[in-house]
Amino acid sequence: MSELTIAMPKGRIFEEAYELLIQAGFNLPAEMEMSRKLMIEIPEENIRFILAKPMDVPVYVEHGVADIGIAGKDVLLEQGRTVHELLDLKISECYIASAGLPNTTMDEIAPRIATKYPEIATKYYKGIGEQVEIIELNGSIELAPMIGLADRIVDIVSTGRTLKENGLVEYEHITDVSSRLIANPVSYRLKGARITDLVRRLKKIVNEQVKDA
Amino acid sequence: MSMIQMFEKPLGMRDTFPAIYEKLENVRQTGRQYLRTNGYDFIKTPTVEYYDTVGKASAIYDASLFKLVDSQGNTLVLRPDMTTPIVRVATSKLLKEKIPLRLAYFANVFRAQETEGGRPAEFDQMGVELIGDASVYADVEVISLAAGLMKEFGITSYQLTIGHAGILQSILTSYTDTNEQAEELRVLLVQKNFVGFEEAVLAFGLPTMKTQSLLQFIEEASNLTSLAQIEKYVTKNDALVYMKELEELLKIAGLAEEFAFDFTLASHMNYYTGMLFEVFATGSGFPIGNGGRYDGLLHNFGQPVGATGFGLRVDRLLEVLPKQTITQQTAVVLFEKGCYEQAVVRAATLREQGKHVTMQAREAVVNEAMFIEPFGEVITITAGGTKQ
Repeated sequence: MSELTIAMPKGRIFEEAYELLIQAGFNLPAEMEMSRKLMIEIPEENIRFILAKPMDVPVYVEHGVADIGIAGKDVLLEQGRTVHELLDLKISECYIASAGLPNTTMDEIAPRIATKYPEIATKYYKGIGEQVEIIELNGSIELAPMIGLADRIVDIVSTGRTLKENGLVEYEHITDVSSRLIANPVSYRLKGARITDLVRRLKKIVNEQVKDA
Repeated sequence: MSMIQMFEKPLGMRDTFPAIYEKLENVRQTGRQYLRTNGYDFIKTPTVEYYDTVGKASAIYDASLFKLVDSQGNTLVLRPDMTTPIVRVATSKLLKEKIPLRLAYFANVFRAQETEGGRPAEFDQMGVELIGDASVYADVEVISLAAGLMKEFGITSYQLTIGHAGILQSILTSYTDTNEQAEELRVLLVQKNFVGFEEAVLAFGLPTMKTQSLLQFIEEASNLTSLAQIEKYVTKNDALVYMKELEELLKIAGLAEEFAFDFTLASHMNYYTGMLFEVFATGSGFPIGNGGRYDGLLHNFGQPVGATGFGLRVDRLLEVLPKQTITQQTAVVLFEKGCYEQAVVRAATLREQGKHVTMQAREAVVNEAMFIEPFGEVITITAGGTKQ
């Protein structure tokens, strides 16, 4: 059995995905010591986890140094990398939306959009026939309309609390987001049996959880 | 924009140092020898072509073309692949002289520069085009050659994945209600977005039977070891008969272990009308090459004859090649002032014996120990005599 390298995002998504794998019958230690280690070997299953920033998971998978990985749909849409999108794990579900100050319209000459997702934002506004200017930010996007940097923001919304606390309202729902299982195209062929087996087992668990919910 | 430093080369461009050059040359010679013995003639075409002809007809995404402007204001492209230029030559000239036509190439091709590493803007490709033969035997020949090349290179762990654009199309059309739905699903398959495929199928609100069939298809059609598994989805048609024949012939050609079928395989170019395939090997995270039947491209160039072929990426081949030791060693004849004649004679004798010989004046060497290090044999000729 060939070794399978799985790229995982650090943090909460890792824990949820790890739990899914245990439920799917993978022989993994119940208590994972989350130290500063970036690589975890599971000899019992011949699996190796690598822990990466969520934004970086598709990079490892596309270049083939990880066979499969777990990545947010937001990251996949933003980066457009050549990976196979195999399964919706239905964890960390949220959506991307545009937001701004209440009762405002966009600037007519040069509407400005602040976002962590320049690709998604450009594509969305192009799609609705609006030419906008994008300002890329790395965090605290909500600041931009408050302080007058942009008319709208395009960002992830999960509960909507951050928007509300900062006096912003949601304008348009752009797309739904959840964590996806992705695979490198070559691994998908050469380690096909292992990957297909993993997808089947995870799919069963995911479907059961959706039914229960 | 930072200032360009003297040592820099344009984004995405790579130097080929001697050690890699020899490896490349080895691949080129091995491949050339193999393809020549299979009756293929090598061809070279210009590095630049017109954007409006070759550029637009090429299978490479428009945004990935390396574009330039010529002195007349025409947009040019650095050739993005060899298939389109070869089709240009074949349709305008060569097909009138010989049909079917078997052509091979080893050439550098270009892509738009990208900032991320691992995506060279220039790399070598090796492949074949079999033009003017619409039979299944041409497709078998091309697949066998791709597998044969991998074997010639000593690559043991590889796989060919074969699909058929026509069969996929007929499945998508028969299980959806409109052409728009079929096209939407096809595009999702080009992107290998299986999650999106399932979501789209469910969102279409098709009759249960169709929905179930499509969902089952996407789950099992991407890794089939036998054609029998796809038959339940397709009403008997020519494409299926064709693929059955292909499967039989590939087995006769001794390739039973080398290939798998994937009927979700789709290309963004609609001129791939029939069989298409991809080549994967352990050691590279990217496919080594791809190929297929592209009758549609010939049609675009005004010659509706069959054509099939494949191309391998040599840069990725180098990643998966087994390690080889270079056996040829070079000797050095180090001579002092006044000993040039002896040195010339000595070097000539050694070269006659088939050795590679470097001649070097000793006085010009700054660090002798470092200089002689890589040589297999060192002959020093001084006024006092010769030391070996």
